[in-house]
Amino acid sequence: MINNMRRNLSLLVLLTGLVLPWVYAHADGRIKGTGGVSSIGGAGGGGLIPWATLTSLASEEQRGFTAFATYTDLDDFTLDVVGGGVNFSDRLELSYARQSFTIKANDAEIEQDKYALKVRLAGNLLYGKLPQVAFGLERSHLRDPATARAVGAKDDDGTDLYISAARAWIDGLFHRTSMLNVNLRYSQANQFGLLGHGGDDQDTRVQVEVAAAMFLTRSIAIGAEYRQKPDNLNALREGGAADVFVAWFPNKHVSVTGAYVMLGEIAGARPQNGFYLSIQGAL
Amino acid sequence: MSMIRNFSLGKGLCALTLVMLLNACSGTQHPENLYSALGGEAGIATITDYFIVEIANDERVIAYFEDTNVERFRYFFIEHVCMLSDGPCEYTGDSLVDTHVGMNVTGAAFNAIVEDLMAAMNKADIAIGTQNRLLARMAELREQVIQL
Repeated sequence: MINNMRRNLSLLVLLTGLVLPWVYAHADGRIKGTGGVSSIGGAGGGGLIPWATLTSLASEEQRGFTAFATYTDLDDFTLDVVGGGVNFSDRLELSYARQSFTIKANDAEIEQDKYALKVRLAGNLLYGKLPQVAFGLERSHLRDPATARAVGAKDDDGTDLYISAARAWIDGLFHRTSMLNVNLRYSQANQFGLLGHGGDDQDTRVQVEVAAAMFLTRSIAIGAEYRQKPDNLNALREGGAADVFVAWFPNKHVSVTGAYVMLGEIAGARPQNGFYLSIQGAL
Repeated sequence: MSMIRNFSLGKGLCALTLVMLLNACSGTQHPENLYSALGGEAGIATITDYFIVEIANDERVIAYFEDTNVERFRYFFIEHVCMLSDGPCEYTGDSLVDTHVGMNVTGAAFNAIVEDLMAAMNKADIAIGTQNRLLARMAELREQVIQL
């Protein structure tokens, strides 16, 4: 865990150093909080799923950059993620995430790279009649494919496609700014790709993901997410995942998110619940 | 299989979704008139005075106000908010399109102004729910303001 943290921190600094001079980010053109946080796959969104919102607060005239680190402590596993994203003109988002999944019992580790892009097709989260609609692609590459092969996955790597729609109501539930996001995802990923893609018991390839959030104040949002997952492996059961979260936006450049996550059965172990902590910096 | 296992949670979220949508749709029914909630004429004047100070100190937007007559802006902004909040006023100023045409107000500048207004309402001790009621009504006017 400590080693992971140290390594993740180095990667974070490296990513920031490489990307920042390239994009020369300056993003404050959107209302605080509307950039959301960073998902475990790196794309801007909630924590468990991407949202139609693009990362950072870049508006149409700006470029934005975010970097994040996430720690998830489950009953039998930990999932650490570090990554970053770039937002070009609130139109195109590119992101990268490195996931390290550790089995507590034997300290075995599965590492995965996530490369993703997201394009805002139409609409605006806050304004106008249309919801904000985005198309996204997430490419997963397993650095440690042995486990995936052992459990019967068809492929080490895979690509997810999704269409996402999000709408916020400024004067929403209880007169608090409230948001709803729905994704339709095409994916064959087993456990977010950590156990490869596809398998000997191929399930439906289209999944639904939903998130709802509400700003209690201008700085604190609460919400919940649900992510349907395919169940492609004969040997292992896989169900949906969900979380409830609190996100704190002390200013336009920092967010801290805490969540209780329910990831269901993973690799034959009992339903995995635990805590999630994510920190994001944005420029 | 996973569809069945996910069903109950999925159903719960659908119910939550429905509740949110219904609430969002019924957001116009209020026991208290928004004008009163803002503190009437005096309250709106206080908000407006704070708002002018916020704008004056906001380098993101101050350039847009170079040629603005502050007294005139103050008078018509109060009148406009009074009308928007169902107060006893009629807005007698120029149309929003007329006042903003040629200014090329960007989305970022519009949001900066929204933030300035939020800050002003905070200083005037307006509750966040009341703030949101006004902001939602103003947000509908965005198309008459930006990129003209």
